[in-house]
Amino acid sequence: MQTFELNTTISNLRSLRETDLSQYDAVYLGNIYCRTFQENFLERLDDLSEGIAQVKDRGLRAYVTTYAAPRNDALPKVQKALETAANVGADAIEVHNMGVLLMVHEQFPGLPVHIGGFANVYTDAGAAVLKEHGAARFTPNYEISLDEIKAIAHSVSLPAEILVHGKMPLGVSDSCFLLEYESQWDEKCPAVCQKDLFLRQRDWAMRSVGRGVLSGKDVCMLEHLPALVADGYRMFRIEAAYETPAYRFNLARIYRSALERVAQGDNTVDELAWHTVRQHTAVGLCNGFYFGRTGGEYVGSQGAAAEVCWLGTR
Amino acid sequence: MELLAPAGNLEMAKAVVENGANAVYVGARGWSRRRDAYELSDEQLHEAVAIVHGGGAKLRVAINTNMQSSEIPALLDKMEKFVGWGVDGAIMTDVGAIAQVHRCFPQLVIHASIGANILNNEDVKFYRAIGVSQVVADTKLTLRELVARKADGYVGIEVLIHANKCYTYLGKCWMSPYHRLERTTDGLGKDLFRGSPNRGGLDYRICLEQWELYAGKLLLEPRVALKNEAFFYLDDIPSLIDLGVHCLKIQGREYPVPLVARIVRFYRQLIDAYVAKRPDPAFDLRPWRLQLEAIQAERDAKRTNMTQVLLNEARQPVPHRA
Repeated sequence: MQTFELNTTISNLRSLRETDLSQYDAVYLGNIYCRTFQENFLERLDDLSEGIAQVKDRGLRAYVTTYAAPRNDALPKVQKALETAANVGADAIEVHNMGVLLMVHEQFPGLPVHIGGFANVYTDAGAAVLKEHGAARFTPNYEISLDEIKAIAHSVSLPAEILVHGKMPLGVSDSCFLLEYESQWDEKCPAVCQKDLFLRQRDWAMRSVGRGVLSGKDVCMLEHLPALVADGYRMFRIEAAYETPAYRFNLARIYRSALERVAQGDNTVDELAWHTVRQHTAVGLCNGFYFGRTGGEYVGSQGAAAEVCWLGTR
Repeated sequence: MELLAPAGNLEMAKAVVENGANAVYVGARGWSRRRDAYELSDEQLHEAVAIVHGGGAKLRVAINTNMQSSEIPALLDKMEKFVGWGVDGAIMTDVGAIAQVHRCFPQLVIHASIGANILNNEDVKFYRAIGVSQVVADTKLTLRELVARKADGYVGIEVLIHANKCYTYLGKCWMSPYHRLERTTDGLGKDLFRGSPNRGGLDYRICLEQWELYAGKLLLEPRVALKNEAFFYLDDIPSLIDLGVHCLKIQGREYPVPLVARIVRFYRQLIDAYVAKRPDPAFDLRPWRLQLEAIQAERDAKRTNMTQVLLNEARQPVPHRA
């Protein structure tokens, strides 16, 4: 029987408590974009301890993520989060920054390191350097294709974690443009970035989370899951840091079910699953860069359904 | 204190040296963070070495895209050729490529590109360990952060004094290829990844589109800006010189030669004027500010036009490869 890991990201304790994690195997705790994100695990270390304990109590693996772009002033807090993770028994640390990788490697050599998507793994040579610094798995940079990922994973013998569903990160900033406008709105920081905010211009759309920019469309690899499994991938992520508990649960249920069917040699996806997928996208579906094309394109049988359905108005 | 200038062609290489650059950087065609029109072929690069060295300056070659794994052997072949021609340094991003180039050419000075997005002092330690001897400071870093980096003292600091300050961190943005990515290989088989600033150099400046902001179906703001501003340093130049940063870098391979030459001449004269009087807390920047305003107006007009061309290009359909 093949074993898979399905994981997701949760930014704070409240969201963790509200989410049904029964379909997951592991959870990344923390918000990588913003230090002022509401009750961010990475800034509230008591919550982080509690979160790790809760995840492990549910029989899942607890990973702690770290900031995508930490400057010097964030490092003392990162250090504390790493100490907390080590003390409470986190199962791994996700790093997006070479400096943080060095900190973990030098100070917490026992903690497995997962390389995050912002760490920019583009080449096998790069992955080899990170492996020398303790990397146990990597999420490739989102810009590279499945062919490239496969070559890297095989060449370096480092397992890859694949984002299979959710909004793909497109960028991270040091500033939040929402702060320039929030005085005119009812909601303010730190709640405002959790609204369903989209930047839109004609048929282009991106999800804004303040300091982060995400794809407007949801990456969806549901119908390509059999190919991913055939290529040896076993760790899959549903990127849901800014999604609702219902999104996390419903998408996980679909992917868990699909993985179980793939394990039994059944590569079909039922229409009800597609219906749920479409219900949970505001803008449409894409495959990211996995097929070597423009990141917002969709390749596969759901091409028509993946077209822009702006916030359900299609 | 080194003044580093761009060269998007041989004419620019000659002009910037004549106007006071101590060092010049060029992009190897298909391998640097600019579109191929502003990069040099190998033959041109060979010629650039002679031009720049003939003017008493150093030449660095930018090979700072995030290439494919399969392209690294070609990169090493290229680098062997460049080292043989006497280039003085390489500007690079990918940690694997840096480590391999350092292993093969241990005497070559490697500069970590702006694309490496080196943000903190631990980052600097990491890049130093894999063979980097000078790092480009991210445009978002404050003077205080540069002081902290300088205090560590084990790596050279390069500060951009004319460049773009994007909304996102450079090297951590793929908004452009999310909207349009064209896969094209050049005559030598190098994938140009048109539309990806990290992989091929061409950035459609998607952030500068006139975005509307929606909350669900509700239009919150009819026009929001993801700030991406071109800047010139002026007020901080004396502080940077006093701080002892190793290099002040001017970006702009894509601008016309006369404009870039003018920018280089301006900074050469400013640096020389301040160094002759330093330390001088009363150094008067007002006449320099007037000069810079005129240069800035010319630069802004060119940039606005280029941005519109790029955004239009981003809307064009992508011809798919077989």
